[in-house]
Amino acid sequence: MIKIRELEKWFGNLHVLKGINLDVNPREVVVIIGASGSGKSTLLRCINFLEKFQKGTVEIDGKVIEKNNEKMINEMRIHVGMVFQHFNLFPHMTVLQNVIEGPTQVKGIPKKDAIKMGRYYLEKVGLLEKENSYPSMLSGGQKQRVAIARALAMEPSVILFDEPTSALDPELVGEVLSVIKDLAKEGMTMVVVTHEMGFAREVADRVIYMDDGIIVEEGCPNKIFDEPKMQRTQDFLSQIW
Amino acid sequence: MYYDFSAIVKYFPFFLPAAWMTIQVTVVGILLGVVLGLLTSFSRISENSLFNIPAKIYIYIIRGTPLLLQLLFIYFGLRSVFGFKAFTSATLGLGIHNGAYIAEIFRGAIQSIAVGQMEAARSLGMTYYKAMRRIILPQAFKRAIPPLGNQFIIALKDSSLASAITINELLLKSQQLASSNYRMMEMLTIAAMFYLFYTSIFTWLFNKIETKLAVSGSR
Ligand SMILES: Nc1ncnc2c1ncn2[C@@H]1O[C@H](COP(=O)(O)OP(=O)(O)OP(=O)(O)O)[C@@H](O)[C@H]1O
Ligand SMILES: [Mg+2]
Repeated sequence: MIKIRELEKWFGNLHVLKGINLDVNPREVVVIIGASGSGKSTLLRCINFLEKFQKGTVEIDGKVIEKNNEKMINEMRIHVGMVFQHFNLFPHMTVLQNVIEGPTQVKGIPKKDAIKMGRYYLEKVGLLEKENSYPSMLSGGQKQRVAIARALAMEPSVILFDEPTSALDPELVGEVLSVIKDLAKEGMTMVVVTHEMGFAREVADRVIYMDDGIIVEEGCPNKIFDEPKMQRTQDFLSQIW
Repeated sequence: MYYDFSAIVKYFPFFLPAAWMTIQVTVVGILLGVVLGLLTSFSRISENSLFNIPAKIYIYIIRGTPLLLQLLFIYFGLRSVFGFKAFTSATLGLGIHNGAYIAEIFRGAIQSIAVGQMEAARSLGMTYYKAMRRIILPQAFKRAIPPLGNQFIIALKDSSLASAITINELLLKSQQLASSNYRMMEMLTIAAMFYLFYTSIFTWLFNKIETKLAVSGSR
């Protein structure tokens, strides 16, 4: 589904990603953990080309994405959803308009069908009754659930989550995590960057530990959390627990 | 010399054609300014230097020289070339002048929209232009309303400078009448009343638009 090979990224002189190799298989949930500044967000943003990188390749659904091919990138993004730390809902649109914007404007789905679909996904995140509200009237947790519904409404083959709960008050984290857990159960393919270790352990099929632009260690949650092999992983985990 | 209130009543009707002229010059100038401003702001934020460099030069020249000079330049300079009438020169001058300021207002508003908005739109697969049109511009327009209202009021008052190129608007009219009736203060008062009337209407109108937009979707 996603194949990343020898990915390298610089911000000016700053070498942020130093040769990343990563595969994400269908129906798999990959969780990326690591210290602040280790390059987790940058890696996620390179997958859907919000960030351009200097070396390496990203292959999605069997196609190597060409970085100067805008058309190809836009086409790829239909299949790769993204949920942001700060939600990034469109404030001038209602909840339902937010959710159907992509399907109608990008996929050309007739409005009537898109509304039906939009309501289905809003129901799924438990916010159907808010369809006519504007984002400013929602709590952080509700905003993030709308953002998830917006991503789902594109019916992507994979969704990228960049710290979906980091901007939330502690009491609102649970409702968002439970939506993501439900998606995991249904077999949605996902790549999740998070600092919620309990959640990572519960939802991940595979955990990736990143430090300083490289993947230090990866494996199933029990392996990474209970018996990490690398010293750096051990240090990181002992600091945050 | 005493202040004669009856002169205000007496000469008030004589100002009506001038008041009409002021509003014509202002409105045509503003409309032209908005169109120029929009085009210029898009050119200015374009990454293509074929667009952004001319936009920068235009803004640089207009903001760096007085409006009065610009009006005289167009009136005396271009009249001989294109045969412009005074009215054309005045509206063109005001339009070009305001276009530069309005371009900066739009640019500021567009750039004040959080980058996350563009990223969210692009991550749905939208093209840059579609994201601009559907997501960025509607929000930017809303933010541009207060500074635009301000600019419109400035444009209204600036229209008085068109008196220097023979446009018979409020200020020129007050000077003409005062030179024959020697009631300078009273004639200026009448002109001031019209300006205040117009600015009040502009202010009211913009407040109305602002509240209306605030109701439909927030932030
Ligand atoms: N647009 C940018 N320009 C320059 N440097 C950047 C930019 N974005 C990120 N960086 C730098 O790249 C490095 C990796 O950043 P990144 O955001 O990927 O880290 P992260 O692992 O997501 O951290 P966090 O947990 O704090 O979100 C950091 O040193 C950061 O300062
Ligand atoms: Mg990050």
